[in-house]
Parts: sequence; structure tokens; C-alpha cells
Amino acid sequence: MGVLRSMRARHADEMIEGDDVAGHLLLRAGRGDQSAFAGLFDELSPMVHGVVLKVVRDPAQAEEVTQEVFVELWRLAARFDGTKGSARSWAATLAHRRAIDRVRSEQASRDRQTRDASHAVRDHDVVVAEVETSIDQARVRRALAQLSDIQREAVELAYFGGHTYREVAVLLGVAEGTVKSRIRDGMIRLRDELGGEA
Amino acid sequence: MSDIDLHHLSAAYALDALDQHERAAFEAHYESCEVCRADVLAFRDTMTHVASSLAAPPPPSLKDRVLADIAVTRQLSPALARAVPTDELARRRRARSLGIVLAAAAAMVAVVVGVVAFTGRNDDTYAADLAHLMDQPDVQMLSLENQADAPGSFKVMWSPALGQAALVGENLTPAPGDKAYELWLITPDQSMAMYVLDPADDGHVHRMLDAPADPSAWAITMEPREGAAVATGEIMFVAEVPATA
Repeated sequence: MGVLRSMRARHADEMIEGDDVAGHLLLRAGRGDQSAFAGLFDELSPMVHGVVLKVVRDPAQAEEVTQEVFVELWRLAARFDGTKGSARSWAATLAHRRAIDRVRSEQASRDRQTRDASHAVRDHDVVVAEVETSIDQARVRRALAQLSDIQREAVELAYFGGHTYREVAVLLGVAEGTVKSRIRDGMIRLRDELGGEA
Repeated sequence: MSDIDLHHLSAAYALDALDQHERAAFEAHYESCEVCRADVLAFRDTMTHVASSLAAPPPPSLKDRVLADIAVTRQLSPALARAVPTDELARRRRARSLGIVLAAAAAMVAVVVGVVAFTGRNDDTYAADLAHLMDQPDVQMLSLENQADAPGSFKVMWSPALGQAALVGENLTPAPGDKAYELWLITPDQSMAMYVLDPADDGHVHRMLDAPADPSAWAITMEPREGAAVATGEIMFVAEVPATA
């Protein structure tokens, strides 16, 4: 695994190669191979934990969620369907969904106590500093820079901030329909910049 | 069908930016919509690039905890192309008991609430009506169990407060020439409402309908296209509404 790890994807073409490793390991994990799953953890945990940490913020909670995500990947491994996207994409989707569920349930309990929506400040800029320096990051930054301000803000508030598009509309002070179409336009542009395959 | 509103949610869905009601409505829709499914896959892959750029290795101790967890966690079996009933007998029993309900109700010329024949699809308002339904705080959702050796699935969502329901059939075999899928809605007093559905020519059924406050079961049979007051076909899909606490 060490060699594979050091060869790990740093741009699009290599990412696809790296993903075959993840797909292969996931396949073996689905047959109960725990050492293959350990390899899968090495392969995917930086990404999974990175997404979770970005959304959840609290390191202790992020660790819990990352742990949940991997146990879920293990449970569902045999149901992985390579025709519905790559293993890496599956893991990223599951990680983000779990992180979002965590912040929303936290938010719900906090809202019940305070009924104060004003704490939903726009703090997404702060975390940008946390991301590791890499070619990936540069590409993503470049791609995000191609979006209009409102597209970028809408996508970032949704994906990193864990807000629904309706909440994003309130945060940005624009109509819900506007946010919906800006998110869509922004995602189409991102897809064109970054490619639709990971 | 013209669920323009739903199509436009694929990006927000891929970002997990829908609330739970919209998420459910979109999930009921997108698996059968090639455009949306392709969009969601592409958008997810796009966000996987973003996710990879955020890489932050967890502390080494986490790996040990995960490996300890999985050692005592059972894995799910692979999903099969067609669902295999896990308890054939229980399934048949349930089908039979519901069949008895249907037969008894028919024999008594039970209080038939209404036969509604759909003449055309209510495309124009479907997406908005579905979204409105899914917004109701009391909305419930059931997947009908496939009793027949037939492809496809039916889901029903309804709100007692609103008195409305949505029926979503996916990947169905189009009904033969003179037949149509018919929905039976059974209430605790064994009155029934029957809806003659379209033949699902394109393999899908998307319907808004009126619903009673407390349905006890939903069932689908194949009937003559003009509708049947008594069920003549086998129950193809069925769901009993779980008793509420």
C-alpha cells in the first residue's frame, strides 16, 4: 500500500488510476477481507476525514463521523455498484451526507434551545486555510474562481456550510429560486472545469 | 412528464442542500429519470474532486478503532437485481389476508368511496403538488411490496391533514392493450376507493389523488382499462399502513 499511497492521485488522470485501487479494495472488502478494508482506509480516509472535518468543524465530532462512515462503508461494501460511480465518489458522497446529517441534527437541537437563527454566520472563508496545499487544491481553487460570486457563495455555503438552499437564500438575502438556479449553474460550470468523473 | 422543478434540484441534491422532504421527493423521482440520474452522478464526481482537495488524514488511532469496529460488524448481502422475498410464507399469508379484505369488501358491495378514472396525466401541476405534499409535517411514505413476479415498484406518499396522496410507479411493464394498473385504497371500515390508473405506457405512473384520513392498506392490481369495481386480478403490489403509536 505504501507505494500506491505515495503514487496517490494528484491530478485528474492519476486520480482515476488511484480510484481503481479503491474500487478493487472495496470489492475485496465486500467479501469480508478485513486487510483489504484496512488498505481502503489508508486510501480514502484523508479525503473522508477532510470532508467531514470541513463540514462538522469540531475535531472530536469529526472523528466520530469519520468512524461511522467507514463502518458504514464496510457494512455496505458488497452493495457497491461500480456502474453508479467510482468507489472514491461513493465514499465522498456518504461522508458528506453523514457530516451534513450530524450538523443538521446538532443545529436542530440547538435551535430548539435558543430559537436563534442569527448564529448562522458566514464562516466558510475561515476553513479555506485548513486545506492542504496540493495540485488538487489549486485546481479546485481555480475552478471555484471561475464561478460568479453568488454561484461560488451558494455552492460553498451548501457544500461546506451544510446549509440547505433555502437557508442559503436567507444567508445571501436572495430569492430561493435564484439560489436554486445559481447552485445549478455553478455546479455545471464546476463540472466543466473539474470534469464529471473522479 | 414535466417535473421541471424536480429536474432543477439535481445539483442541490448532489450538494446535500435539500431538506428532508425535498430529498425524499427527489429520491422518489430521480432513479427513474435518466437526465437527473446522469446529472447527480456527474455532480457527485465533480464534488469528489473538491472533497479530495480537502484531504486531512485522521489521527492514527482512528484506524485501529475502525478496524476493531468492523471486526464485529456484519456486512449486508449484495443487492440482487430482483428482490427475493425473504419470507415467502409470510408474504403469501399477508397477500391472502388482504385478498380476503378485498373480496369481502367487494362481496358486501362495500362502501365504495369512488372510482376515479384518469383521462390524462396531470403533468402541469404534478411537481408543484408533490412538493406541496412533501412539505406537510404529517406526510407518510410507504413502499409497496412487490407481490408479483413482475418488475417495477410503487411508492405512495400521503398527508392525512391535506387529504392528498401521491403515487409513484417506476420501471413497470406497460399494461397489455386492454388493461391498466388499478389502485385500491382500503380504510379500516373496509370502504375502498379505487383509482383506475393509466397503463404506464412509458413504464411510469405519477399521480396525485385524494386520500382518506386513515388508509389501512394500499394495493395495486391489473384490471380492465375501463376500471373494475371488484378486484379481478392478483394483488401485484401491496402495503399495509403500520399502526401508529
